[in-house]
Amino acid sequence: MNDVASARVTKADVVARRPSAKITTKASNALRWRMMARVAVRMMLHDKLKMLGTLAGVVFAVLLATQQAGTFLGLLYKNVMLVDNSGADIWIIPPSTYQFIGGTKPIPESTLMYASVTPGVAWAQPLVYGAGSVTLPDGGSEGVTIVGTKAPVYAGGPWNLVVGDVHALERPNTMIFEHGERNKLGGLNLGSVREVNGTRVQAGGFTWGLLPFGASFSFAEYELARRLVGLAPGEVSFVLVGVEPGEDPKQVRARLAERLPDVEVHTNAEYDRLIVENLLVRTPIGLTFGTSAMFGLLIGFVIVALAMFSSVIDNIREFGTLKAIGATTKDLAKLLAVQAVSYAVLGSLIGLALVTRVAEAIRSPRLAILIPRELMLIMMVLMCLMCVMASGLALLRVRKVEPGMVFR
Amino acid sequence: MNAPAISTRGLGKIYGQGEQAFMALRDVDLDIRAGEFVMLAGPSGSGKTTLLSILGCVLTASQGEVSIFGERVSGTPEHQLPRLRIQYMGFVFQGHNLLASLSAEENVALVLQMRGFDVKASLAEARVLLERVGLSHRRNAKPRDLSGGERQRVAICRALAGRPPLVLADEPTASLDAEHGLRVTELLKELSIEHGHTVLVVTHDNRIFHLADRILHIEDGRLLEE
Repeated sequence: MNDVASARVTKADVVARRPSAKITTKASNALRWRMMARVAVRMMLHDKLKMLGTLAGVVFAVLLATQQAGTFLGLLYKNVMLVDNSGADIWIIPPSTYQFIGGTKPIPESTLMYASVTPGVAWAQPLVYGAGSVTLPDGGSEGVTIVGTKAPVYAGGPWNLVVGDVHALERPNTMIFEHGERNKLGGLNLGSVREVNGTRVQAGGFTWGLLPFGASFSFAEYELARRLVGLAPGEVSFVLVGVEPGEDPKQVRARLAERLPDVEVHTNAEYDRLIVENLLVRTPIGLTFGTSAMFGLLIGFVIVALAMFSSVIDNIREFGTLKAIGATTKDLAKLLAVQAVSYAVLGSLIGLALVTRVAEAIRSPRLAILIPRELMLIMMVLMCLMCVMASGLALLRVRKVEPGMVFR
Repeated sequence: MNAPAISTRGLGKIYGQGEQAFMALRDVDLDIRAGEFVMLAGPSGSGKTTLLSILGCVLTASQGEVSIFGERVSGTPEHQLPRLRIQYMGFVFQGHNLLASLSAEENVALVLQMRGFDVKASLAEARVLLERVGLSHRRNAKPRDLSGGERQRVAICRALAGRPPLVLADEPTASLDAEHGLRVTELLKELSIEHGHTVLVVTHDNRIFHLADRILHIEDGRLLEE
């Protein structure tokens, strides 16, 4: 027994000898939390069926909400993956080019020269971006997005290569296609020859999962890509810039923007954000997936609220007893909060474990559900908030419990 | 001068309003000295439980005054009542009202924790009490695994835990047969003498009347005699 408790016992002993004396001791707030937490967990474990039912509700809600949010993030990533994987620090783009579907308005090739000589720039590379059409063996055609990248940096070049390597692009009339589109492109294999925009090219490798919102990325060497998309002399689609080690990309971006007033200059992060903002404003994708995720969380809210409310009703006499023996409404709020957070944390852990398994199982080049740690954390926090809010409904009932009911 | 354990003056309780109003207690004047073992008897609906509820600070009186060990409790704001209950009172309920999810030991320890004991000390004290009522071998049992008499003995331990000066018992023998009822009441009296508790037992079980220091009768909300 610690000193404080010893003092209390001594006081109690005094009370025993002098019955008219008062017990003035009172549990500290921390002790009350621990005490109520213990009772809360015991109450949960006592009714295992109800606990499992509530947990199932939370798990389902987390599954649904995370799957929707993960799919949403996966779709967003499709739009920014070229920027994210370009290897560049700064993008020089035609004005207001925030969508990669179709093609882009070109910018002057002189931009490349201006960029190269700007202080802080380590390298500047052109990037060709345009629509392509692959003629299939059966006479049909299939759209691709041609991305032209220049050796030896290959900024904006192919990544996630599953067959071949980037140097295949150095061979004449060779392109790297998307593995997920091989069947669509007429059973494309390594070395297969197809006509792209009227030029015969050979498949020199395959990437995995490079399927943006539009047609799949197909990579070519810079000069070949220029010919394929018909870019006029003196024009490029984008200029990608790498900064000197130790240089702040934002400062270099400011210098470039000053020199190049007719184009837009953004760091990778800024360009990412602009693309995403444009997507959210111009398409209903955010609203659609946001609503679905919210419904998932609402399902969890309703299930937990009902389960906890019915648990209070089932145990109403116990709550009355707790009040009669000295528990306050605040104490009982602590009890309900512990139960709510326990359901939320346990349910979230199970739900997140399941949804990551599901995401892995259904992962394909076309659909990648992204569940970063931040999303998991956000889901758990949201679920905790939802469950604590849901416990408020039970608390409303608990507040009305009269301790006098135990005498009736 | 020591104040009485319980003192009421002109105590009244009215349920409902207007034509529906029902006077459950009328003008109750009562003094119980510290250390007394008092029984309150009366027919059903006579106001026994209402009086016990007011004295137990779980119900407020409509009129009159109540003092517990000299502290005036009538008029105390509702949020202060749990403090008064922890400070002065232990309860034995008619239906034992043990928490089903806790063991016998934990049920007793819970009240001690509310009175400021840490977990370890409260469990140790609970064990001592359970041993005193002959239930040390059943300390880990849940209420559903205990017999009626055992549950009521655990409930007595809970009421006496932390040695509150006042113990209020509501029909503690109601759910027990004659033999167990008598034994439980004897135990309550024995422990109250041992620890110096003041005890008020509401009952209509005349088989235990002989254990009382004093018997109060109530009828139609009036305290008839002492």
